[in-house]
Amino acid sequence: MDSVLTTCPFCACGCSLYVQASNGRPTGVAPSENHPVSRGRLCARGWNAHEAPAWGDRLTRPLVRRGGRLEPTSWENALELARASLTTLIEAGKDVGVLGSARATNEENYLAVRLARGALRTGSVDSFLRATYQPLVDGIVAVANGRAPAGTLADVEASDFILVLEGDLANTHPQAAHAVIKAVKAGARLVTVGCARTQLARLAALHLPALPGERGFLVAGLVAAAVAEPEPAGSPERPLPGFEALRGSVAALPVSEQLRQVARWLAQATRAGILVGPDGGPPERLVREGTAIATLAAVTGHLGRPGSALLPLPARGNLRGACEMGVMPHLLPGTIPLTEATAGARLARVWGRAPASALGLTAAGMPGRVAGLVVHAEDVPAVAPTGQDVLEALGQTECLVVLDAFLTPTARAAHVVLPVASFAEGEGTITSLEGRVQRVRPAARPPGEARHGWRALSELSAALGLPFPYRSANDVLREIGEVVPAYAAVADGTRDEAWGTFTSPPSDDREPTLRPLAADRVVAALPAVLALEGVFDWGSDPLVSLSPTLCRDHVSRRKLYPQGLVQMSRRDADGLGVRHGWSVRLASAHGEVALPIVLCNELEPGVLLVPYAFRERVAGVLGGRSEVPVTAEKVQ
Amino acid sequence: MANEARTISKRDVAGWLAALMRRAEVIAPVAAHGGDVAFAAISSPEQVVFDFQNSLHPPKQFVLPQTDPLVVIRRNGNGIELEPVRDAHPRVIFNLRSCDARSLAFLYRMHASDLPDGAYLARAENVTLVSLACTVPCELGFCTCCDAGPFLKEGTDVQLTDLGEHLLAEPGTDKGLAMLSEAGDLFRPARPDEERRRLELEEAAKRAFGAETCHFASAMRRVSTGRVPEELWGTMSDWCLECGGCNFVCPTCYCFSVKDMKQDGSWVRCRTWDSCQYQAFTLEASGHNPRERRADRIKRRFFHKVSAQYYLRDGTVGCVGCGRCVRVCLGTTDMPAVVEAIRKGAWNG
Repeated sequence: MDSVLTTCPFCACGCSLYVQASNGRPTGVAPSENHPVSRGRLCARGWNAHEAPAWGDRLTRPLVRRGGRLEPTSWENALELARASLTTLIEAGKDVGVLGSARATNEENYLAVRLARGALRTGSVDSFLRATYQPLVDGIVAVANGRAPAGTLADVEASDFILVLEGDLANTHPQAAHAVIKAVKAGARLVTVGCARTQLARLAALHLPALPGERGFLVAGLVAAAVAEPEPAGSPERPLPGFEALRGSVAALPVSEQLRQVARWLAQATRAGILVGPDGGPPERLVREGTAIATLAAVTGHLGRPGSALLPLPARGNLRGACEMGVMPHLLPGTIPLTEATAGARLARVWGRAPASALGLTAAGMPGRVAGLVVHAEDVPAVAPTGQDVLEALGQTECLVVLDAFLTPTARAAHVVLPVASFAEGEGTITSLEGRVQRVRPAARPPGEARHGWRALSELSAALGLPFPYRSANDVLREIGEVVPAYAAVADGTRDEAWGTFTSPPSDDREPTLRPLAADRVVAALPAVLALEGVFDWGSDPLVSLSPTLCRDHVSRRKLYPQGLVQMSRRDADGLGVRHGWSVRLASAHGEVALPIVLCNELEPGVLLVPYAFRERVAGVLGGRSEVPVTAEKVQ
Repeated sequence: MANEARTISKRDVAGWLAALMRRAEVIAPVAAHGGDVAFAAISSPEQVVFDFQNSLHPPKQFVLPQTDPLVVIRRNGNGIELEPVRDAHPRVIFNLRSCDARSLAFLYRMHASDLPDGAYLARAENVTLVSLACTVPCELGFCTCCDAGPFLKEGTDVQLTDLGEHLLAEPGTDKGLAMLSEAGDLFRPARPDEERRRLELEEAAKRAFGAETCHFASAMRRVSTGRVPEELWGTMSDWCLECGGCNFVCPTCYCFSVKDMKQDGSWVRCRTWDSCQYQAFTLEASGHNPRERRADRIKRRFFHKVSAQYYLRDGTVGCVGCGRCVRVCLGTTDMPAVVEAIRKGAWNG
């Protein structure tokens, strides 16, 4: 039995684990006690990480669509077919795009960008989950004067005050939840914000209820409370640039005694941890939310303070890395603006060809719009905001090339399927929510004819006329170090002995810039607000859905509620005269739907949540928004 | 068999291990990445570490692997053909700690009673245990509360004690005695002063315990007589993140799930580790779940671990005091913390 240390492929906490393999198949997982993040502790997903690669429906040969069916072929034929189809589309002036993924390594995501902007000459390169993370980061970075989010989970554990903004951390980011629990046990004060009294909210000193979509509004209220204090303890000695304009912008916001209390706690804290769960909604609103959060940290003196952490939590594994590699339609690798000449010239020198600098389509904009689409390690219906409905648009693609380890629904819809290694056989690096870049090491060989993802993407680029100089994932990482400034230090040899390398220094003395805040409200004229719960469904992720142990809860829920469900507080259910399992009709300005209810004691009255897994069921009611006012009535 | 004690010079241990490796797979603690210690099959005697805090991942995986193939299922014409998978490969687990040796005895008893488990027994009966007594208690262990260490009187084939220049080897079974005899003149009979030294080390080790204790007896009385308030389980359950780690690293946990893995045109029915803390562990085909609340699952776990009902069946609590659940817990609901809460009727995080 072999045992290889690698990085956990699920959420973005950045735990390390040993994958054990026997006869070339992963058979188990063991924790690493000395790893600085996981310290021997894994969540249920981590403990079962070996299952999907071993039990899942693995792709072992390239497949091409002939007569409506996927048939095995050789790598040469598959690459040639992809090249011919994509070239024909481009020559005909049609749009093509590339989807990277939070499930892929940094090297693969970088090569996806190189494929798009270098080989296919398109700016349409994105990943679906970016929209739940990068806008928050953009808002934070603007206040922090360009500094990437900083802090570690160890900082959070050592904090004396912690603010958790939504996100059911116990489910979405268990290792982060552990840091919070440990801090609370050691006496830290915890404040949670959200529309549900989740597990962490029950351990909190105070829970601040916020309607879906109103997190930013609540944080703006905290800022108002903080700047209204005469002499906030712990705040910077002289006013920060823009302070007066900020104070003016929040002066009219209502400030409750609770908000004042929380602002005081935060200002008095020596070390504060602020954890920002992923959020849905329009990107502009998320940018404003990120701005409000960073502003709160700045005016209380915690932004950039050593020991204090402000961490937006990527919804999935390597989302931070994917964004930093440039899997974004509006930025180049290293989150550099498209128009920045030096970066463009650097890429041109390294690639031997100038990058396409056009603003491209977003991930959600691509299906149905692009004629040619290359998808790397992304199962589109699992992550698209439109869920299963996206398959119809995807079906209109004239050439769909899918690189994946598993036969996902997206791969089933493809014209060309290229089999690549799963995390258990892969090599490369991934970046955690802390900005820790860690190695993925192969515990087994890729099955059958599957190749490493970095190689498959390179070969596809080469087929399209952009040859590659890489002989290993490490060569790709070295090139990333040349074009992504924050990764320059990552590519040296030390990370094998150490536990990963940080992309950016944990803190520096850059002074924040304050800006006026604009607060968003969800106008709830109707008695209830309907929203989706979370922005990502683990049950749809191949590493969960193909794991016999991890898929059980999700499969069971789908069997019990094939038509979907809506969660409701007991008070709302009593008001409507309905019981658990009974149906209610939800109506908004956009449409209506009948759904069975599941009683949820954690929910605030007036909030109706539909699990993200069932988002197609309420698409008509939401009408493209992330939350809408609705009326609910009992279905007779 | 105590009077059969022998000693081996540390210089000769590599030769002994090399001899053992010729006739068995030798599993021993080795240095893994960045200071981690893990049990693994060794390829050279030099890999074995002697000075180590017990590995977080227990050696139970070598008799009860996380994925354990039991039966190969093949189509044969119109019928199907079943072929049991038996792994009777000879193995030596070397330098395992007293608590782990004790736990393997517990697991053996469990798999041998009632309906004997062939797949487990095939492995376990071909394993020889060479345990290393703990002269220094580990930081979080409480084996003294479970009669599972720091030294053992039974449950191991050979018990080693580190005497500095030498190792004292005490055979605990005929198998162990034969193993020492086969090693020939690498061993010599222990001198009386060496046996005295061993006893002194045991006493000193027992005295060094103290920080970690676990009052099983009083917890057992309360759990077994329904004197744990229901709300207490609910309160505790908010401090559990349902990772299952406590089950996976527990040397005495053996609960499993059964799944069929597709492999080269056939199916392999596998036993896989499962956790009673997972919501789906007791999920029934109808969708009904008798232990849907986490509080009920925690209650169930500790009922199994410390209730009188199981004590009478197993002759011991379901714990060997290794302290791994303290090290692995993603929340704060490890064995000593929960036992204390049960005993005091209150939870303090």
